Amino acid sequence: MPDLERRFTIRANDFVNAGEVSLEIQSILKHIGFNPALIRRISVCAYESEMNVVMHGGDGEALLKVSPNSVTLVFTDQGKGIKDIELAFKPGYSTANLKHREMGFGAGMGLPNIKESADSIEIHSEEGHGTTLNIGFELEGDFG
Amino acid sequence: MAELTHTLSRGSSVQIDETLCNGCVLCMKACPTKAIRVRDGLARIQGVCVDCLECVRVCPRGAVKGVTPPYSDLKNGEHYVVSPSSVLYSQFGAGFLPNDILLGLRAMGYGYVHDQSYTSEIYNFALELYIREERKKPEPKFPLISAICPVVERLIAYRFPSLLEHIVPLATPREIVTREAKRRFSDKNKCRPEDVSLLHITPCPAMSSQLMEHSLHDASNKDRAIGISAIHERIRQKAQEQAMEQDRVLHYSGGVGVGWGKSGGEIAALNAQSLAVSGLHESIRYLKKVEMGLLEDLEFLELRVCTEGCIGGPFTVADRYQAKHLIERLVRMFGEERRVKYNYVLKLYNEGWFRSQWKRVPLESGSPRLSISENIERQNKIEDLIRKLPGIECGACGSPDCRTFAEDVVDGIARLEDCVCRQDRGRREVAREC
Ligand SMILES: Nc1ncnc2c1ncn2[C@@H]1O[C@H](COP(=O)(O)OP(=O)(O)O)[C@@H](O)[C@H]1O
Ligand code: SF4
Ligand code: SF4
Ligand SMILES: [Mg+2]
Repeated sequence: MPDLERRFTIRANDFVNAGEVSLEIQSILKHIGFNPALIRRISVCAYESEMNVVMHGGDGEALLKVSPNSVTLVFTDQGKGIKDIELAFKPGYSTANLKHREMGFGAGMGLPNIKESADSIEIHSEEGHGTTLNIGFELEGDFG
Repeated sequence: MAELTHTLSRGSSVQIDETLCNGCVLCMKACPTKAIRVRDGLARIQGVCVDCLECVRVCPRGAVKGVTPPYSDLKNGEHYVVSPSSVLYSQFGAGFLPNDILLGLRAMGYGYVHDQSYTSEIYNFALELYIREERKKPEPKFPLISAICPVVERLIAYRFPSLLEHIVPLATPREIVTREAKRRFSDKNKCRPEDVSLLHITPCPAMSSQLMEHSLHDASNKDRAIGISAIHERIRQKAQEQAMEQDRVLHYSGGVGVGWGKSGGEIAALNAQSLAVSGLHESIRYLKKVEMGLLEDLEFLELRVCTEGCIGGPFTVADRYQAKHLIERLVRMFGEERRVKYNYVLKLYNEGWFRSQWKRVPLESGSPRLSISENIERQNKIEDLIRKLPGIECGACGSPDCRTFAEDVVDGIARLEDCVCRQDRGRREVAREC
C-alpha cells in the first residue's frame, strides 16, 4: 500500500493542457520535500511520458505513487500502441507528424531520456491496444 | 579561498499602511510566494518575501508600499563614492545625456562617480567567456540563467532550488562595482577601502534590501542603496546646473551599457543562443519550463521580473515605455556595441576578477522541516481537506486560494471554520430544514 496516490486524466491531442499533469506532479513532489535533483529527474520523465500519451497514445491517465523510499509513475493509454518497442527507444526515432514537429515535438528523444533518467522502467504495449509505461525511482540516499 | 554561503536576503521593502488597508484580497492573491495572509481585516506578510513588489502594483488603495531608504546628506570629511544604475539615464527625458547626469552626481559632492554601465559591459564579455567554457563541459548547465535580477535569484532559491546551479556563478556587476569603485577611489586618495562609503542608486527594491543586509560581496555597513525616486529631484537640479560644463567625461560605456536596464539589454551583444523574458509571471513560466528540461537548446536566459526590465523597476520615476524609447535612442547614439576591449576583459577573467566566493543555497520558509513520511502524511491530509472546500478560490478565509487554505488549516495557522463558503452552505442547509 503506497503512502500517497494520485490519479490524473490525460486527453489525446489536447495540446492546450499538455504539460499540466507533469507540473502538478512536480508540485506535489516539491511539497513533499524530495531533493531538487531527484524532482528534476522525475519531472523530465513525467513530461516526456505525458507528451507521448497526448501525441502518440490516446486518452489515458497518469498515476503517481509515493512512499518514503520510492516514487512510481504509471502512464496508461488506450491508444494505438507501439509496434516495435526496441525501435521506439532508439534516440532520434519518431513517428511524430508534421503538426507535432511544427509545435517543436518529435525529436525522438523522449523514451531515451526517460530510460536515462529513471532507475527502472517497464513498458507493455500492443499494437491497437494501448501502452502502459511504468517508471520507478529509488530514494535511498537520494532525499533530505 | 573559503567558499561562502550566499545568504540571500530575506529583507523586504514592503510596508503595509494599516490605516489604508481594507483587507481586500488582491495583494495576497498576487504574491508569487504566497507570503501574504489577511488576518483581522488586514493584509500581513507572513512568509518568504522575494521583494518583487507585485503586491504594491496591484493594491488599489495605495496601502501596500515599496519603501526606499531616504537620501541623507553627505558629511564633511567623509569619503563618498556613488554608482548609479544605468537605468538612471532613462529617467530625465531627452534633454539629459548620461554624462550630464553623472556630472550632476559629482556636483552633489561625491568624490568619485562610478559609471555602472561600463562595468556592465565588462561583465557582459565575461559572461560570454563563461558561456564558452560551459559549452566545453560534458554536461553543460544550459540554459544558464542571468544572475542580474535579485528577485529571480530569490524566486529560484525558494521555488526552483534545482535551478540554482543554472545561475551564472560570476561576480555580478553589483558585486564588482561594490569592490572596484571603493578600491579605485581609495588607491587614488590614499585611504582604506573600508573608509569609503558607497551609494548605489537603483531602480530595484530587492537590490536595495540585499545591500541593507550587507549580504553583498564586499559590501560593508558604510554602503547603502537607495531608490532612484529618493534622489531623482536633487540630481535633476544639479545636472541642469552642470549641463553647460561639458569638459569632463565620466561616462565611458557604449550602447550595450546604456541599454543594460531594458529587457534584452544583457543579450543584445551576446554571442550565444539566448532569449530575454520580462515580467513576473512570464519569468515564472520560463523557470517552470527550464525545470522541466524544455529549454536545453538555449544557452542563456535573461529573466527580469519587472515588465520591460529594470527600466520598469519599482523605484523608477519615468514611465517604463517612455524610458524604453529614450534608452533606445541613446543606444543608437552610442552604438550598439561594447566599448570595453575584449583582450582587457580576457586578462581580468583569467586573473580571477569575476570569481565569486558565494555559493547559492535554497531559501527555506523557516517552518519546521518534516521528514519525507511526515510530509506525505501532511499532503494526504491537505488533499482530504481540499475535497471538503468549495474550490471557488475567493480568498475570503484570509488565505490566497483553497489549496493554501487547506495547507494553513493542516499547519494550524487557520481554522476550517474560517471558510466563509462552508459557513454559508451550513446556514443555507439549516434554513432549508426549517
Ligand atoms: N504512448 C505511446 N503510444 C504510441 N506510440 C508511442 C507512445 N510513446 C511513444 N511512442 C512511439 O515511440 C516513438 C518515440 O517516442 P519518443 O522517444 O518519445 O519520441 P517522440 O515523442 O519525439 O516521437 C514515438 O514517435 C511513437 O512512435
Ligand atoms: S513583494 Fe512580492 S513576494 Fe513580497 S509580499 Fe509582495 S508580492 Fe509577495
Ligand atoms: S527587473 Fe530589475 S528592477 Fe526589477 S526586480 Fe529585477 S533587477 Fe530589480
Ligand atoms: Mg516523446
